[in-house]
Amino acid sequence: MIELKNVCKNYGVTRALADVSFSVEKGEIVGFVGPNGAGKSTTMKIITTYTAPSSGTCSVGGHDVMEDPLAVRQMIGYLPETVPLYYDMLVHEYLEFIGQARHLNGSFKKRYDWVVEATGLGPVLRRKIGVLSKGYKQRTCLAQALIHDPEVLILDEPTSGLDPLQIIGIRNLIRDLAHEKTIILSTHILPEVSSVADRILVVNNGSLVADGSFDKLIQQVTERSSVYVAVKAAKKDFQSAVKSIKGVEDIEFDDNTPRGTVGGHIFYASGKDILPDLNQVIREQNWDVVDFSQERLSLEESFIRLTRSSGQEGGAA
Amino acid sequence: MNDMTIIFKRELKQYFYSPIAYVFSVIFIVLNASLYMFHFFFFGNADMRAFFSTLPLVLGLVFIPAISMRLWSEDYKLGTVELLLTLPMKTEDIVLGKYLAGMVFYLVGLAGTLIIPIVLEVLGSPDWGPIVGGYLGAVMLGGFFMAIGIFISGFFSDQIVSLIITSLTCGFLVLVGWQYVPMVIDGWIPGLGSFLYNFVGVTRHFNDIERGVIDIKNIVYFVSYSAMFLYLNAKSLERRKY
Repeated sequence: MIELKNVCKNYGVTRALADVSFSVEKGEIVGFVGPNGAGKSTTMKIITTYTAPSSGTCSVGGHDVMEDPLAVRQMIGYLPETVPLYYDMLVHEYLEFIGQARHLNGSFKKRYDWVVEATGLGPVLRRKIGVLSKGYKQRTCLAQALIHDPEVLILDEPTSGLDPLQIIGIRNLIRDLAHEKTIILSTHILPEVSSVADRILVVNNGSLVADGSFDKLIQQVTERSSVYVAVKAAKKDFQSAVKSIKGVEDIEFDDNTPRGTVGGHIFYASGKDILPDLNQVIREQNWDVVDFSQERLSLEESFIRLTRSSGQEGGAA
Repeated sequence: MNDMTIIFKRELKQYFYSPIAYVFSVIFIVLNASLYMFHFFFFGNADMRAFFSTLPLVLGLVFIPAISMRLWSEDYKLGTVELLLTLPMKTEDIVLGKYLAGMVFYLVGLAGTLIIPIVLEVLGSPDWGPIVGGYLGAVMLGGFFMAIGIFISGFFSDQIVSLIITSLTCGFLVLVGWQYVPMVIDGWIPGLGSFLYNFVGVTRHFNDIERGVIDIKNIVYFVSYSAMFLYLNAKSLERRKY
């Protein structure tokens, strides 16, 4: 559906994108993650034909963005980061204008009702856009992107400025649209991506540093996983019993456990599953378990690791 | 409705949302009418020559730049340029829609001065040729300045900068078309003044139409230059992509 091949973009001497290639299949939801200035918005602007790539090609639904921009624009619903709204217009006037500009004509009424319902704009339809809260402005702009029922949705930070309840609302809306539409969304809020997107693209310094599902990304940045266990037992027994489990690489004892209990972080190679064996040992020894928790890298941590390591590579090169 | 009409309607409405345009319209009408009335009472002639002799400068320095400044600059500031240029429309249609909205607003202001010929008809018997010619010239000249204004507005996100640069450009075009300005320039650099007068100055073409001599050459001059700047505006917006 969307295909970028070796796309570069220079703004003067600044290189915003360096050789970015990826493709998105129909019906896929792709999360675009990266620090500020990484090139997320630039990539989206190229896909929506707002800016041209300096080199490389980009096509949407088989139409090249440079050769047939009107066909591409027809297919895309775009929510830019800047939230483009005419502050003097009323909300319904704005949506009517977009409906006309998108040539909806007959189907406008139906789409308009749907979009107002979906984005919850009902109470503010007759208000001036300029006086709306940030959340409503964001939703008005989202309505603009959805009104023509586009095949492809490009959402640049769709939930910025929304409160947690509204974020959940938008997230559900995106999930509802998922089966029929191809969606690319960018965000800083990482849990949001992992809960909505099938696939995550991490960009840093203008290039793609990772591509894959959430779990795959986590594996990519962590060589070993760990589990924290605290039981009522002697330290010596604990150490020897746990060490005997196949796959355990190291134990790091926790000194802050209460008297009579022992706790430690047990490290093992990612991809191996030691939990059944560990469980078996605990049962055999008849230990009382005080704490047992799988330690996963949070998305934030993996994000930092991904972007940091690629930054170092860039520096070395 | 075609694309141009959709943009035109929205842009025209936008003029009536903001007070700035009203303020400038009132200034335009009052300034022109009072400059003229001074002359009218002093000489007592039932013609509008004084009106049309100051009109190019008032249009070029104040009124047209004030209308044209927002055409693109406002969209840059609001970010709506990203919306407009990703709509499934040709850039030329958007430019033309915006341009016509500016023109209609200008013509409304110009229509406000029609009170003068009405007063003249009541008080005396004016020669209608030069008056009709003068208004036709004002439409042509306004169209030309508006095209320059929208072109310049396409480069700046600040409306005031667009206003000042359009004002300087149009003011220059008017002044080098006044006979004594090129004469002074000729005194410094021989030939430059008359070159500017003949090939750049806009007043000469306006005066021809205003005298009631409606020559196809002058109409072609205004229409083709206006079209050229509109074309350049569309191209510069597409060029901005790179």
